[in-house]
Amino acid sequence: MKKSLHPLTLWVSAILLAIGVVALDNALIALAIVGAVATLVYIRRDGSPWHRSFSLSLRIGATILAIRTLVGILIGVPIPGTVLFRIPLLDLPSWMPGIRVGGAVTLERLTSSLHEGVIIATMIALFGAATSLTSPHKLLRVTPSFIYEIGVTLVIATSLFPQLATSARRIRTAQKLRGMENARLRSIAIPLLEESLSRSLQLAAAMDARGYGISRRRSRYRPQPWLMRDNTIVLFALALSLVMVTR
Amino acid sequence: MITFSNVSLIYPHSTKTVLEDLSFQIEEGEMVLIMGETGSGKSSLLRLINGLVPHHTGGILAGDIEVDGISTRSVKPGALAHLVGIVGQNPIEGFVTDIVEEELAFSMEALNVAPDVMRKRVEEVLDLLSLNSLRNRSIATLSGGEQQRVAIGAALVMQPKVLVLDEPTSALDPIAAEEVLSILHRLVHDLSVTVILAEHRLERVIQFVDRIIYIEGNGETSIGSADEILKNSDLVPPIITLARALNLSEIGTSVREVRRHTDAIRNRDYREFIEPKKSNSPAILIDRISHSYGDKKALNNVSATFHHGEIVAIMGRNGAGKSTLLHSIVGLHSPASGNVSVNGQDPTRLTGAVRRRSIGYVPQEPSDLLFASSVHDECDQADSDNQLAEGSTAALLHRLVPAISLHAHPNDLSEGQRLALVLSIVLAANPEVLVLDEPTRGLDYRAKAIFGAALKEYASHFNRPVLLATHDVELVAEISDRVLFLAEGDIVADGTTLDVLLSSPAFAPQVAKVMAPKPWLTVSDVVEALGENS
Repeated sequence: MKKSLHPLTLWVSAILLAIGVVALDNALIALAIVGAVATLVYIRRDGSPWHRSFSLSLRIGATILAIRTLVGILIGVPIPGTVLFRIPLLDLPSWMPGIRVGGAVTLERLTSSLHEGVIIATMIALFGAATSLTSPHKLLRVTPSFIYEIGVTLVIATSLFPQLATSARRIRTAQKLRGMENARLRSIAIPLLEESLSRSLQLAAAMDARGYGISRRRSRYRPQPWLMRDNTIVLFALALSLVMVTR
Repeated sequence: MITFSNVSLIYPHSTKTVLEDLSFQIEEGEMVLIMGETGSGKSSLLRLINGLVPHHTGGILAGDIEVDGISTRSVKPGALAHLVGIVGQNPIEGFVTDIVEEELAFSMEALNVAPDVMRKRVEEVLDLLSLNSLRNRSIATLSGGEQQRVAIGAALVMQPKVLVLDEPTSALDPIAAEEVLSILHRLVHDLSVTVILAEHRLERVIQFVDRIIYIEGNGETSIGSADEILKNSDLVPPIITLARALNLSEIGTSVREVRRHTDAIRNRDYREFIEPKKSNSPAILIDRISHSYGDKKALNNVSATFHHGEIVAIMGRNGAGKSTLLHSIVGLHSPASGNVSVNGQDPTRLTGAVRRRSIGYVPQEPSDLLFASSVHDECDQADSDNQLAEGSTAALLHRLVPAISLHAHPNDLSEGQRLALVLSIVLAANPEVLVLDEPTRGLDYRAKAIFGAALKEYASHFNRPVLLATHDVELVAEISDRVLFLAEGDIVADGTTLDVLLSSPAFAPQVAKVMAPKPWLTVSDVVEALGENS
């Protein structure tokens, strides 16, 4: 078994990097960071259920990128520059001034939309990586119990995401076996939501029944020490983030 | 230890009271079973004991519940954590950490127990439940029985006076179930822990319990010793049915007792019962299939043939490869090597309507197949999928469970009704082969009897094969013709139900244990053999 990091290390690093990426606002460096993070996730894969959330977050990021680019091309203020191609301009009524749908698509307009999309997708990928590398259960154990409600919410939220992925796959195969090839979204979403909701409630009930949040102080059975490695990683992320912010 | 005084419970947005005017007392060191049909309020009653109901679920509670002098009304469930340990129906869903040791320590951490005390108690519990070899394992990799033991351990570290368990053996194979029950028995006798459990498989537990609380369908509740309650109840394990069928003067709850009463009967002569010869035209051919998940081999060069009109039970311990074998047969994955052919077709290539007509599959979670907002919509969908006249599926469903309401939401159905609905939908396509994965989890005896009869009728009427993976030996004894026994991915036994079940003491049904060495598996076998003789 690979030695585990402190559960907060990667979350803190992800937040720092995210700040840096937003401040620097450079799509290429953002993509490089996604690449580096993806490699890290691949190296540290351990087959745990939450590990799949990284690829899910990449997919969500890609969807957002596509939507953002499409909307950027179709709607909005034209940016002058090299015209790539033209799409017919839609006639809008006079009470909608300043909004154009269609028209000339310039290289500048395309790149600026892509750029914004990449930044958003990078943020999602960063947090996806932190979720997929940190066990939600470990995270709970380091959460101080005076933020009890936040702790429960955190565990439910972070365990929900990977569990959704597992259940969705199970339900889809079951329905395929019922001979429903192109299962409609509704037919998957409904059993999925029901199951996730009832699981979350069960988890919350189990935590309640076992005295979570009753005592304001918690003792530690086997404390997860904050080691030199954690320092190194957080300091590295901090340095990187500082460089990106001050540039 | 536990006092219920005039307790009634009603959930919000519901017109039916779950429990009505319930009063009883449970003494220290008692083991009490709560029985009743599915959906009769057993789980609610259990959760009332530590206040999860109504603190966590909402609902109106009348009357008062005291546990060791503390009223559950006045404190949150967590405040009872040191007093009441609760183990849910599905332990994996209640685990809060990843590693066995951490899971055991969780409650103590939350209640700020000093580290040296924690260490000591964790060691004690690891020893008590023989979990020592698992202490550093990841919980997700444990088998069902091991998980159940960890869940019990996690409750025991708080040294509770009361232990509450919801269907502790329903997902376990007979051997794992016996392990869990013997631990409970020891807790009651050695440590005077008060144990309250709900369970459908009465044959597994009644010999251990002191008293039974029976929640009847009409809201009536009766409390008494096992003998008293079972004498008049509708829900009874095979051992009691046997006593009734043989007109024994006394009923007994354990194999040993009933054997004593039936000495004379066992020594009588009886006529040999000859099994009618089944057809042997093969329907499903499995040729040397192997499959593995990562490093773990799930199936190892398995070959078998299933015939038309045959009900085959696939048995084995948790993780023996039962589900993998079924998945290969229905075409969920193609095995790493080897071939499967279902009526001459490769099951992985089937799609759409052809698939529905070729293989009917009821998954482990039947509700995976349901998505409409009412029973009626589900039936309509099945009718239109299979080009049947409107109402055909509903008619099929009504034959299985006449009382079902077509307007109900599938989620509000009881376990048995939901299985019946899924079965009707699958059968509406009139499939050539029927495959079921652990169909009887959470079913009471009545629902199980209806379900078994439906399978039998399907197999004999249409002369089609039925395959089911199950832990339920009593069901297997009742319905199946043949048993395939898997262990670690290998077939270790394959023969008639009689041969396979009688040769394994752990998997023998209760009636067979009572009647040994006579080759009878079920009450009707006994009655038939003796009846024709006298």
